[in-house]
Amino acid sequence: MAVNQYTDVNGKPITFDSESHKDFCREFTISNAKLSLRTILIYTCIVWLLAYAVFFITENTVVLSSAIIVTLVSMVIGIHFVKVDRETLLIIRSLGVQVSSSFASGRECTTFIEMSKIKDIVINEAVYMHRVIYYLCILVKNPSDPEMISSVVPLFQSSKPRLNCLEQVYKACQEVLLQN
Amino acid sequence: MGQRKTTSSRAHPRTPDTCSARTGALKADGDGPVAVKHSICMVSDFFYPNMGGVESHIYQLSQCLLEKGHKVVIATHAYGDRRGIRYLTNGLKVYYLPLQVMYNQSTATTCFHSLPLLRCVFVRECVTVVHAHSSFSALAHDALFHAKTMGLNTVFTDHSLFGFADVSSVLTNKLLTVTLCDTSHVVCVSYTSKENTVLRAALPPDRVSVIPNAVDPAQFTPADPGRRDDARITVVVVSRLVYRKGIDLLGGIIPVLCAKHPDLCFLIGGEGPKRIVLEEVREKYQLHDRVRLLGALDHKDVRDVLVQGHIFLNTSLTEAFCMAIVEGASCGLQVVSTRVGGIPEVLPDELVTLCEPTVRSLCEGLETAIARQQEGSVPSPETIHKQVRALYTWRNVADRTEKVYDRVAGQEVLSLDRRVLRLRSHCGSVAGSVFAFFAVLDFLFLLLLGWLIPDDVIDVAVDASGPNSRWRRDVIKKKN
Repeated sequence: MAVNQYTDVNGKPITFDSESHKDFCREFTISNAKLSLRTILIYTCIVWLLAYAVFFITENTVVLSSAIIVTLVSMVIGIHFVKVDRETLLIIRSLGVQVSSSFASGRECTTFIEMSKIKDIVINEAVYMHRVIYYLCILVKNPSDPEMISSVVPLFQSSKPRLNCLEQVYKACQEVLLQN
Repeated sequence: MGQRKTTSSRAHPRTPDTCSARTGALKADGDGPVAVKHSICMVSDFFYPNMGGVESHIYQLSQCLLEKGHKVVIATHAYGDRRGIRYLTNGLKVYYLPLQVMYNQSTATTCFHSLPLLRCVFVRECVTVVHAHSSFSALAHDALFHAKTMGLNTVFTDHSLFGFADVSSVLTNKLLTVTLCDTSHVVCVSYTSKENTVLRAALPPDRVSVIPNAVDPAQFTPADPGRRDDARITVVVVSRLVYRKGIDLLGGIIPVLCAKHPDLCFLIGGEGPKRIVLEEVREKYQLHDRVRLLGALDHKDVRDVLVQGHIFLNTSLTEAFCMAIVEGASCGLQVVSTRVGGIPEVLPDELVTLCEPTVRSLCEGLETAIARQQEGSVPSPETIHKQVRALYTWRNVADRTEKVYDRVAGQEVLSLDRRVLRLRSHCGSVAGSVFAFFAVLDFLFLLLLGWLIPDDVIDVAVDASGPNSRWRRDVIKKKN
């Protein structure tokens, strides 16, 4: 087990953890920085200051109560659907690949792809938000024609690690995939 | 998909290297100035799948530069479904950037919105020279503007001639003056084009080089002997049917010559607004069996049309460097052309008959060519082809372009204050001040981007071409 410090494409630190159970099974975990109290405070302050400004002009208390509701609802949505704490990739030679991401609220979202459907795991380049980045993805075979690719499943979508980290995962995955 | 996969599977970790480390290593390898390898980014709105002269110029030049060991990437805008990053033959990497197309395949320009993407491309590919093509391409102008702000060396290739009189050329000329006044070097395709560009953009002539275009001689070969119908003499015209190409002159020539020579026929390929002129002539003189209009031709079909003829006729009124007559001659045809623009420089006198751009002069020229054909005193198509194939080759173009890069790489890029001064002194007080202001804004925007995403956070791309190429190394390994 090895834990390393890497950064994501925006320069924020992430932790990369790779675990090897026998040679046919690997697990990679990338954890983002935890939701900090400071960001929550900053966002809350912004919403509240805006609400007070509007209240000052309109003198309507509905504005203030709606600000409370907006803050609470967006916080719940944020930790439940947006903020991802940890992304895990589990690859087992004889079974397949399991991709799971756990949100800040503890909710887990897991998908599994059978080994027979996987054509390969590769690093690709894409244009993303006015930049060009590298990402790791699984190529899924077309069921009717195994030579063709029917879809591409991008991995580590929310943590977006940089190339050096992707290369580690890529090499380890290839080692597992190439075993017979 | 297959190609993407192969590049990806070559990605393996290396010691963290930055651009500066890599370029330093490049220079250390070289014993002299010859061995310096450049990292070139070609930028133009026009690239495949769009077809045309600029597109094939960029592709062929890039392939020859790759062969010489330079690293080349191409940046263009997205064409429909074709967006993102693609690899072409020999690891030529193409960025199809998602920028909005405005008019005639040219992107909209606001001067700034393309900066984040182009900066990302320049930084991750460690570009040292930015080479922009075509004055009609807004992306090329943008890229030059941003490259100068980022302190990269710039080269610009102009592919067309312009007038000075009408409103659109006045505006384009002003834009060109602004773009070119601080560009390190400019390349033109003929001496006439150089003269034109120097006048339009008010440039010192020593900053402008002439490198002609080339043709792919393997694509334009003469027909097998005996395949051509020698009972009649065929005149071939392949051009867009527009005013600039002198189609009105052609409309005047056809009836005169057809009346004189009963065994003469015309084969006309191309499409355009002046097609109506030719159709009228055909109707009026009842020449349906002798004048064939083929309509728009694909680039791959041009050769098959050319080899059906004996004489190639070009009636252009203005031309920077006429590729069509080189293609005609390469197929072994006699060439008759107007003496305009850069055409007299293109072919040696024994291969071309030059005339004034009038109906009478062109008729005389065609008459001599027909007489020669009837006498049989014309060299065989193979002889002409052999002579032409040595004249214009892409390797030669690449050699000369490499010299331009070598020269440019030694020059220092203007700093912001000197650039502003240069803009204000060269481009008039109003346009100069406006663009100087834009240059400062661009610089500030670059600083902002550099703060949001520092250069060292952008991953250096895995090279598919050039001295550190993973692609070539693997090919060599396979061969061994």
